[in-house]
Amino acid sequence: MKKYYGNKLAIAVFTLPALSLFSIMVFYPIIQVFYKSFFKWNGLSAGTFIGIDNYLRLFDDKLFYLSNKNGFIFAAVITVFQISVATILALAVSSVKLRGRNVFRIVYFIPVVLSVTVVSQLWLSIYNADTGLLNKFFELIGSSYRQNWLSDRNKAIFAIAVVNAWQWMGYQFALILAGIKSIPTSYYEAAQIDGASPVQAHMKITMPLLAETYKFCLLISVTGGIKAFTEMFIMTSGGPGNSSYTLTYMMYSSAFRSGEFGYGLAAATILVLECLIAILVINRVFKTENTSEGA
Amino acid sequence: MKKLSFSQIFFRIFLWGYAFISLYPLVWMLLYSFKNNEEIFVSNPFGFPKTLRFENYINAWSQYDVPVYFLNSVIVASATVVITIVLAMMFAYATSRMKWRGRNFARTFVALGMFIPVQAVLIPVTRVVQDLGLSGSHWALIVPYTAFNLAFATLVFYGFFVGLPVELEEAACIDGANIFQTFFFVIVPTVKPAIATLGIFTFLNAWNEFILANVLVLDKSLKTLPLGILFFQGQFTTDWGAMGATMVIASLPTVLVYTIFSNQVEKAVTIGGAVKG
Repeated sequence: MKKYYGNKLAIAVFTLPALSLFSIMVFYPIIQVFYKSFFKWNGLSAGTFIGIDNYLRLFDDKLFYLSNKNGFIFAAVITVFQISVATILALAVSSVKLRGRNVFRIVYFIPVVLSVTVVSQLWLSIYNADTGLLNKFFELIGSSYRQNWLSDRNKAIFAIAVVNAWQWMGYQFALILAGIKSIPTSYYEAAQIDGASPVQAHMKITMPLLAETYKFCLLISVTGGIKAFTEMFIMTSGGPGNSSYTLTYMMYSSAFRSGEFGYGLAAATILVLECLIAILVINRVFKTENTSEGA
Repeated sequence: MKKLSFSQIFFRIFLWGYAFISLYPLVWMLLYSFKNNEEIFVSNPFGFPKTLRFENYINAWSQYDVPVYFLNSVIVASATVVITIVLAMMFAYATSRMKWRGRNFARTFVALGMFIPVQAVLIPVTRVVQDLGLSGSHWALIVPYTAFNLAFATLVFYGFFVGLPVELEEAACIDGANIFQTFFFVIVPTVKPAIATLGIFTFLNAWNEFILANVLVLDKSLKTLPLGILFFQGQFTTDWGAMGATMVIASLPTVLVYTIFSNQVEKAVTIGGAVKG
């Protein structure tokens, strides 16, 4: 068996394809991102080493701060919306005695399997100022609350975030529902015997036991906010003006529109760092919470 | 009959209310794919079309290159699924059950991919695809899609392989099978459920992918559906019915896959949770 498990040829055949593909397409590019962010580079020539100039310029760029602010707004909107709605729906689906519960599950999850392009395009027509569903709806109920949803500098980013929140709510819903299902029903029976109401039972049993699930939900929505791109690319092209720029959008337009690849890569490096910091912080917060509970 | 408690009533209202919010935009899209512009914008924006205009679908399919986009999506998504699963399975097997130095390092190395956002490496990936001469073919998407799906797939397969009993291989070995035969005929069949789950998961990812495709595909004849829909926006903003039809066509495969395999899809999502946390 030792010979069997140590078969060098087999090890090579099994690992080399995945290893080389990963190294060339994922690992080498991420190294390039860090390395080339220290260059003035137009994407064609070798570029010139300029030290941290790209970063200095970035930290001096108003657009960089606007992009980060938008990423933060985006993350905040989707986190609050998705986690609260998903929690209520998951509790509802798991506790209400209702026929056709599976139909509800499917209905909530369907937007997740659609392409972001389809969803963005769809909401573009929903938000359309003259002919869109939303304004038509306000017309129908006799309200004058018509808006140019996507062409208002201050509102555009919120309007876009709502689209993402709507599309991916079902994802968090599925996660939380799976978490609830994994809790043994005997816990709730015990709580019931002790005279706890269903709401109390959920606050004292469900929520603490779902800490891991919530950690993951938070990781997805916070990093999702930092990385946001496609929705603004399709719905507003970063506008009106630059008002719905995000870090990814900034990277994209520096590189593919202005040909400033080095500058774009500095933005990409910050993007990676922000995601890593978010992951570390969220893990840390949940860790201390768990240990303090145990103590 | 027991009276409904307050929480039961609240939950019911919420369930139905959000079901409407979740579904109505999609129903609206489906309905307007059967309408003409006049109905969509003026006379009948909310309700059922007066006549079902199937010609929108015929127009989308025959005039606007939709079959080309559809075929490209099918090719790219299926190739990505097959290659990702084969490579991930082999790699996970070698790192989970075979004994060699550096296997933990190799496993962690590939798992790093979980933390690398596609958005961040967009620029260098474009260069690599060009340098490898993949531009101008379906491989320009298949190769990077596979690479970016590997990390998750290897982690999932690793989880399955680690738990298998050694007796599986011992028995095969005694029967005279070599390691390749054992892998393909004994080990692979034991993880069929994982293959199905990951297959669906990878298919959905590849079918809907936009960010990479947007910079990697320049050739009109290689565009996938998510790109095709955008192209449509620029060219034929006047024909909303046909655009609606295209969006329905683009969504149909994933919605069908989901409604048929809903449990599997949700399972894929939740193992994603366990792995990433």
